[in-house]
Amino acid sequence: MNSVNFNINFGYLEGLCRGFKGGILKQTDYINLVQCEILEDLKLHLQSTDYGSFLANEPSPLSVSVIDDKLKEKLVIEFQHMRIHSVEPLSTFLDFITYGYMIDNIILLITGTLHQRDIRELIPKCHPLGSFEQMEAIHIANTPAELYNAVLVDTPLAPYFMDCISEQDLDEMNIEIIRNTLYKAYLEDFYKFCSTIGGSTTEVMCEALAVSLLTYMSDSLKYVCIFCIVQFEADRRAFIITINSFGTELTKDDRAKLYPRCGKLHPDGLAKLAQADEYEQVKVVADYYGEYKPLFDGAGTGPGEKTLEDRFFEKEVKIMMSAFMQQFHFGVFYAYLKLKEQECRNIIWISECVAQKHKAKIDSYIPIF
Amino acid sequence: MGSLFRSEKVTLCQLFLQSEAAYNCVSELGEIGLVQFRDLNPDVNAFQRKFVNEVRRCDEMERKLRFLEKEIKKDEIPMLDTGDNPEAPQPREMIDLEATFEKLENEMKEVNANAEALKRNFLELTELKHILRKTQVFFEEAEYYTQAASNGPMTEESVNLLSDEGLTQGGQQALRLGFVAGVILRERIPAFERMLWRACRGNVFLRRAEIEIPLEDPVTGDQVNKSVFIIFFQGEQLKQRVKKICEGFRATLYPCPETQAERREMAIGVMTRIEDLNTVLSQTQDHRHRVLVAAAKNIKVWFNKVRKIKAIYHTLNMFNLDVTQKCLISECWCPVDDLDRIQAALRRGTERSGSSVPSILNRMTTKQEPPTYNKTNKLTGAFQGLIDAYGVATYREVNPAPFAIITFPFLFAIMFGDTGHGIIMFLFGLWMVVKEKSLGASKSDNEIWNTFFGGRYLIMMMGLFSIYTGLIYNDIFSKSMNIFGSSWNADIAYPGDMGNNVEKLMLAKTYRLNPNSTNWSKEPYPFGMDPVRLGAMSQSTFGL
Repeated sequence: MNSVNFNINFGYLEGLCRGFKGGILKQTDYINLVQCEILEDLKLHLQSTDYGSFLANEPSPLSVSVIDDKLKEKLVIEFQHMRIHSVEPLSTFLDFITYGYMIDNIILLITGTLHQRDIRELIPKCHPLGSFEQMEAIHIANTPAELYNAVLVDTPLAPYFMDCISEQDLDEMNIEIIRNTLYKAYLEDFYKFCSTIGGSTTEVMCEALAVSLLTYMSDSLKYVCIFCIVQFEADRRAFIITINSFGTELTKDDRAKLYPRCGKLHPDGLAKLAQADEYEQVKVVADYYGEYKPLFDGAGTGPGEKTLEDRFFEKEVKIMMSAFMQQFHFGVFYAYLKLKEQECRNIIWISECVAQKHKAKIDSYIPIF
Repeated sequence: MGSLFRSEKVTLCQLFLQSEAAYNCVSELGEIGLVQFRDLNPDVNAFQRKFVNEVRRCDEMERKLRFLEKEIKKDEIPMLDTGDNPEAPQPREMIDLEATFEKLENEMKEVNANAEALKRNFLELTELKHILRKTQVFFEEAEYYTQAASNGPMTEESVNLLSDEGLTQGGQQALRLGFVAGVILRERIPAFERMLWRACRGNVFLRRAEIEIPLEDPVTGDQVNKSVFIIFFQGEQLKQRVKKICEGFRATLYPCPETQAERREMAIGVMTRIEDLNTVLSQTQDHRHRVLVAAAKNIKVWFNKVRKIKAIYHTLNMFNLDVTQKCLISECWCPVDDLDRIQAALRRGTERSGSSVPSILNRMTTKQEPPTYNKTNKLTGAFQGLIDAYGVATYREVNPAPFAIITFPFLFAIMFGDTGHGIIMFLFGLWMVVKEKSLGASKSDNEIWNTFFGGRYLIMMMGLFSIYTGLIYNDIFSKSMNIFGSSWNADIAYPGDMGNNVEKLMLAKTYRLNPNSTNWSKEPYPFGMDPVRLGAMSQSTFGL
């Protein structure tokens, strides 16, 4: 759709989303939060932010898990409000976002069942945005084929299962493979959906892709796709899968099957990654790509250095922030969700440091504004 | 009442309070409401201020009170609100209040937990009762099917090839159907059926029936609709699978006896147990009700007290602690005319706290612009609010409010201009003004009513002026009126002519009257516009 008709159906929700984005904690808030001595101080400060009195009815003493639950609850309420009030194609778009969480929930439940945990213990640990009706009956399945036939065939995740139905039993290794296969299919499907929104105008974060994906030029507006968000996600997964698979039994061929093909690394970078044996070789591959080279520079696990994961989070935050620079596209909803999640992670990190009185690394949160 | 023409003169004062006396002095100053404090610690975090612990304790107390209020509202007990103004309690009374709230909260939690356990029991028994009733039909049908299955092999020819043992064995296998019975939420039934079908590859047989009356969920208290189901299957593995699926969909399973006689016995037992539980449940509810009624009497007063304590400590947080740690210093804006009252309040506060050192109020000169303070009473308050909505005047600027008292209703009336409706509006405003004490005490939650009640003087004036302009416009209940008779007359426009022109007059659609003639009666219409305009061609539709 174009900018002329966008506001008819989606103007209210986009305005609401931008309002929520305006309430994201700023740098000054974080500076105040790291000065807290106890969790009650955190609660007191958060009362003056957009969070308001979300902890007002919790009995003291607070614990970090209570704060985590309440933060997530607030985010879920906001997201579901937007989902309930949306129409096509925004509602499908928001549903796509939840599929990622559904996959995480499924894997969590299966892993828990493998370790003989009671299903009722595991259900509260699932992410609320990714819950679906058949979720709680997952533990009846012993093989992926059963899982598909009995449980997942009615869910929207059914088409993603094509690649990973096998008669092998569900065990640790296979579960990871299943997770990555599912996620890969999901990302590619999401990518395809975004391109069928029909000249849809959603924000891109990478300058390189902006130039190569110009579809219309109109005054000073450049229309570009949400491709770039998904591409970053795809590439990041490719890197993480590679690095995590060193030292495990995953063969190179299996690993190559798990890479999502819609990122910038496709096809050459992915081919090289599939051959990599150690971290240095991964770094060499990254050097070919301008956006990813600086992430690998200086990343490490020593003190004072940020880990690669943190670097990826930082880059993600930057990309999400620039999604808000353009109007009349759906990227703002995805970006808002990711930024809020990052904020939750930040607050929980600070809470943990405060609760354990170990403030050495308290500044390792990732500032958003 | 001070002059409303300009805002009051306000001066900056410094307040020196002894630490023990500070709480009581701030309480007294809060009651008279004539002082605006400045924050002397602007760059200190909220949780690093001096009295942050007391504020936290107040927050805890408020949380407990909110919990109690929620319980009271759930039971629909009316909360007594006499509207009186309890004084802020002393700091040492705060501990008593905390203890009271803690005790009440614990009692409520205990009662709630008990009630929940009882309700859960009750729910189980009720569900069991429904199961026993509905499954009668299912078992009869199941018997019919198994009969048909066991009759089948008898008629086939291949039967003769089997030995007797084999036949009986085969027959027994055909008859041996296990079953589970349970209750599930109605919304989950379609997904449940589908998953059963898929997971068991169609080898189970499900029957279900709805429970007509909604049951009460013990945790949330909501009414939910449930259905009874019974699943028939063969073999141990299927049983395990079916049980797992039931667990996954949060269906509760109940042991259901196979024979008719056992079922009837169980049903009777269940009924007696339900009766017993009902009595215990109602007793628990009574106890809970009693506790809540006792709490409801005082809860509004407690809320006010806690809020006052919190406000006092918020104010004290703005103070500066002197180097010697003996006294608190603050800066505040005070109206010059009320300095005596403020001094008196300070004296009262110091006496109440039993401190010997008097508090000092020191006037300071400053270049900063003081805040605008308008002394209003209940009549002028509404108009001042109206003016402030457009913007607050600067210090000592001419205040538009006294002019607005007349001009606003008048301009409204010019636009309204109907005597009849004006009378209704005036009477409505008058009723609100006359009954303002009783109406104000009832403290309604309705936003629209509160808006009207707050502007009762405004409405009365607007009604009054509308009657006046309605008479001028000759408009009553949107109908035109002619009280004194028009001074215009077609007859006298052309004297002497009329006799000849009567037919012309009757047939003419329009008739132009000549205003220049000297034959009009010399008196114009006594009050307002002449009604002759209402028949004119140039009259607009709404008679203006």
